[in-house]
Amino acid sequence: METKDKIIVDGVSFFYSSNRVIDNVNAKFKTHTLTAITGPSGQGKSTLLGMFNGMWNDTPGARCTGEIQIRLGGRWVSPLKKEIPMPLLRRKVAMIFQEPNPLPMSIAKNMAFPLKLAGIRDKNIVQEKVQRALEQSFLWKEVKGRLEESALNLSGGQKQRLCIARALVLEPEILLCDEPTSSLDAKAAGVIEELLVSLKSNCTLLVVSHYMDQVRRIGDQVMALEDQGLKRI
Amino acid sequence: MQEVLEKLAVFLSWTMTLVLCLCLSIFLIYLLIKGLPSFGAELIFGKAEPLKVLLGQARVFDGIFPAMVGTFFLVLLSAVLALPVGVCSGIYLAEYASPVMKKLFGSLFDILAGIPSIVIGLFGFSLSIFLHNHFSDRFGPCLLISALSLAVLVIPYIVRSTQMSLEELPSDIRRTALALGATRLQNIAYVLIPNALSGISSGLFLAIGRCAEDTAVILLTGVVATAGVPSSLLSQYEALPFYIYYISSQYSNPAELSNGYGACLVLLGICSVLFMFAYGLKKHLSYRTLYRV
Repeated sequence: METKDKIIVDGVSFFYSSNRVIDNVNAKFKTHTLTAITGPSGQGKSTLLGMFNGMWNDTPGARCTGEIQIRLGGRWVSPLKKEIPMPLLRRKVAMIFQEPNPLPMSIAKNMAFPLKLAGIRDKNIVQEKVQRALEQSFLWKEVKGRLEESALNLSGGQKQRLCIARALVLEPEILLCDEPTSSLDAKAAGVIEELLVSLKSNCTLLVVSHYMDQVRRIGDQVMALEDQGLKRI
Repeated sequence: MQEVLEKLAVFLSWTMTLVLCLCLSIFLIYLLIKGLPSFGAELIFGKAEPLKVLLGQARVFDGIFPAMVGTFFLVLLSAVLALPVGVCSGIYLAEYASPVMKKLFGSLFDILAGIPSIVIGLFGFSLSIFLHNHFSDRFGPCLLISALSLAVLVIPYIVRSTQMSLEELPSDIRRTALALGATRLQNIAYVLIPNALSGISSGLFLAIGRCAEDTAVILLTGVVATAGVPSSLLSQYEALPFYIYYISSQYSNPAELSNGYGACLVLLGICSVLFMFAYGLKKHLSYRTLYRV
């Protein structure tokens, strides 16, 4: 294994009951890079992302074969072999979704939520981490005066940046983004694109997107999931 | 043609809703007309001094106060016994059970929901006899046995409403906390249950209504015509549904029948209070579990 590799996918196939969704995928993803994954709808792009942090685990009838190795904290672990507890894996391999999904509570409480789940309750540490994550997400200046307001009052783009900030608060090593701009207008999408590119210094990013121009703009490498296989383009 | 069908569908659904509201209004107005003349302190306290009754210094012999207290405690106790069991089972079925177990337990709960209440009452009666014969003479048909039997009767409603309201949550909500590193238990406690509270409380409302109206179960498990205010969980008690049944089948003059209608109004009032209590609980819980995280 090369030292710069962050994720190695070796002969991975994915099935829903007897239906093969992904067939024998092989790929390598380097540390501190942004890989954009594109392809037609229904080819399993979201499923592929979910395999890196075990989001498919509780889906009835779902089955995965092959091997995935992820380097976390200098140690190689296999999420498919469940060598690491799923909550711990998901704190290090964070994920954001197509639709921004802030919880119906204040901006501050949304941000502190993952820290409380992880058992971090020291107010000073929480405050410091929340501010840092909001700054990384270009959101601090916009919300610093209204942290106690409901997160549901934010605009679509701000909500998505809040969700990215909420994922970053746990300082993940990998950030999985499932079509993060598809529900946003062009201006808000542009801000998110810029934000994702800036996050490369902190973590490794895998971004699924439908838009070819977008993936070429932001991706260090671009891959297409077609005919159940992953190809570099 | 399609347009006519559309209009017909709208007209039919509107008419049916109107008919339903009309029926409910007629029912309530009829109850009010029949029950209001007898409604008053005398219906509740009879000839006893209300203040002395409330302070426990006098007993009511010819009013429905003991039946009101009995009904209130019966419904409350049944709900308290049924709620944790029902909600936990619903959570298991929705979140942890394998498809096979889900099918198996789901069928069992459906069968339980279909058992006639008189059969549950007989089961409760047999349980009281068993406890009396094998444990202590103090056991017999009583408030506790009635509440236990009613809890068995209403548990399926709570299980199914909890299960369905959890299963119907969209995947966006389901995976939010999981993707942030929540354990399954944290996800259930912090996100899923607060979001499903509305459905869960609907099951509780149904359960409360069923507990308050059921007569067959309590008939066999502890209710009597003249027991006074229940002094303990092991004492016999009076209840409004039984009073209404008794007075409407045994009345000797129109005034007594009017008392029965008055008791119906009081029973509806008690149910409303319990519904409001359940609604308040729902609001309080959603605030405490979700917004204070």
